[in-house]
Amino acid sequence: MKRLLLIMLCLALLGTASFAQTKKRKPPKNFNSKNKQDEKFLEKQFWMGLKAGTNFSKVHVTKEYSVISPVNNEETSKVYESFNKPGFQVELELTFYFKGFSASLQPTYRSSSFAYTNHYEWIDSETATNSLTLDYYQEQKLEYFEIPFVVKYDILSGNLRPYIQLGGYGAFLINANKTVEVSGLDLASGGENPFTNEPVIVGAKDLFAKSNWGLIGGAGVNYNIGNIRINLDIMYRYGMSNIASTQNRYSNDRLAGVGDAMDDMTMDNISISLGALFPLRFLSSGFKSSDSK
Amino acid sequence: MIKKILSILALFLLAFGYFSCSEESNPEFDQDNFTKIYDSNSFTATYYPIDLEQTADGGFIILARTEIENTNFFGTYLLKADQDGNFENEMHFDASFVNPVAKFMKVGDTYTFFCMDEFRMAKLVSIDGNLENLTVSLVNGITYPYVAALDNTNFVLQSFNDVDKKTAMSIINPAGNVVKNKEFDLGAGFEIDPEIDIVQHFFKFGKKIPFQVGKTGSTYYFNGFYNYSIALVFTDLNADDPQGVVYGEGDNGGISTAVPIAGSKFALARTNFGKNYMLPNQTLNMSGISSSEGGNPFPELEINAPIQILRATSESKNVLVYASNTRSKQIGLYFYDETTGAFLSSRYLGFSNPFEIGNLTQTEDGGLAVCGTTYLAGRFPRICLFKISKEELAKQVK
Repeated sequence: MKRLLLIMLCLALLGTASFAQTKKRKPPKNFNSKNKQDEKFLEKQFWMGLKAGTNFSKVHVTKEYSVISPVNNEETSKVYESFNKPGFQVELELTFYFKGFSASLQPTYRSSSFAYTNHYEWIDSETATNSLTLDYYQEQKLEYFEIPFVVKYDILSGNLRPYIQLGGYGAFLINANKTVEVSGLDLASGGENPFTNEPVIVGAKDLFAKSNWGLIGGAGVNYNIGNIRINLDIMYRYGMSNIASTQNRYSNDRLAGVGDAMDDMTMDNISISLGALFPLRFLSSGFKSSDSK
Repeated sequence: MIKKILSILALFLLAFGYFSCSEESNPEFDQDNFTKIYDSNSFTATYYPIDLEQTADGGFIILARTEIENTNFFGTYLLKADQDGNFENEMHFDASFVNPVAKFMKVGDTYTFFCMDEFRMAKLVSIDGNLENLTVSLVNGITYPYVAALDNTNFVLQSFNDVDKKTAMSIINPAGNVVKNKEFDLGAGFEIDPEIDIVQHFFKFGKKIPFQVGKTGSTYYFNGFYNYSIALVFTDLNADDPQGVVYGEGDNGGISTAVPIAGSKFALARTNFGKNYMLPNQTLNMSGISSSEGGNPFPELEINAPIQILRATSESKNVLVYASNTRSKQIGLYFYDETTGAFLSSRYLGFSNPFEIGNLTQTEDGGLAVCGTTYLAGRFPRICLFKISKEELAKQVK
């Protein structure tokens, strides 16, 4: 199903690209020899620049794990939050443009977060006031060095150049932290006693896979101002491999002690970046690319 | 140009190869290492594991004490977990099965332990690996069982004769019949009435005495009350008098755990007025009188902490694993070289909630399984089970 969706996404994007290609390639009416020269020059360009922005993540659980194994009731699943924890990313973009298509390598530092809750309840069947509920709020903050490679297609030419992009990425884990906050309601202490404990923050790098990969789809727009290209880029990363460490799932005694084990999961991420790109090829010695005319 | 394209393609293939080796779910890993806490959502349920055995299917059966109504003694509870540590089945016993004692022993395809009935008579209980086919035998003439161990196909049991006020050592066959029995005096006029201590030991939350029993070569031994003191006593179960005795300090100190290594060489732990000492390489006088002394003090352990000792093998190396309760409410594992007694490393299990040792065993895959009690939410006593892989054990004893 996952693969089918991806194939459909690829076909849809390619279809859009072909349609745009047929629409775009009409030469302008005032086409002259200078334009012809510039156009030829513009068929090929290298761009380099920096981008930064925010991102939000969501995980897909492929197999659930838990330290708590209930003996007399159903196991309660973790409840994951989706796309609500902001992260940030900084990207170096290296792009080679050729006749409307661009191949782009974008080494990225990405910090992403996701969170889930576990809920536990103990009740006394004989004394209704004897009850305790506990909620564990567990937030994971992951830092990756990513190498996305995308192929972009410019839908329009001119100063404002929207594009679509497809590609993939490999990500290397740099660091991971986990914050666990326990809150609850104790009715067994002679009254109603809501409480929230101080959060426990632990290093959790061992709990996550050292690397993972996924596919990228997205769109964006370039706007040329003088010699500089302003870029707004939206990427959706579709995780294809497990981000949790299968071997070290229970290795952190502190986390296992509070009843937690990471599920097997893939992570999707949507990022929005804004940046500036600079051309690396120029028509004249005055550092003027033909884009600047 | 073609060369460049081929180079780029090769680079992509390499990258693809690297990332395709990303983490995949692996059932082996799930069995190698895990931490499990078996939780009941009942506010009043309590479980205190005593011992565990690995079953033929790779799972575990845990023998535990549990609080039951209308008795001063703990009830009996068995829990079966699968090879991944997930809860599979459980068995609650009624009030005619109280005070279950270690060891939980594997005999063929059955798992056996001693407990007592409501009239304090010892019972031999056997069950299969699926917690089915329960067989129960009343052990006539034996009361207040303390602790048991395997003796080939029989069992050796230390108990308290509450009529004659003596410590009893018995050989029991699998049918529950007493094959041999020898009783030892507690000591007349003992200024601290050992009977009081003994009764407290059996009560739910009374002071626990580190009773031990076993056999080394052809000599039986027990650690219990003898001649005014907690003492490690060696006997052939024929002569009335012991062959040798290692005395403690009344009921305030003595040997707390004894595991025979070879001949008269033992791995020991001892207490003295609450302080704990470990003696991983100790030669005992098994045919004379001596007293327990020496050892490495472990101030990080709780006062009078229960200490379990396991003989284990890791990559052809014989090691001793001491397990106990730390003052930081964790289960401390201390690894020693069995040959030299040299300390190798330590590891601490549990965090946040308190954890206490039940017992530990070496698993079929060469790892360790450790069971204990954890207090969920700081108050609900529940069984916990830690599985440590062969590789992790090897790292500990390198």
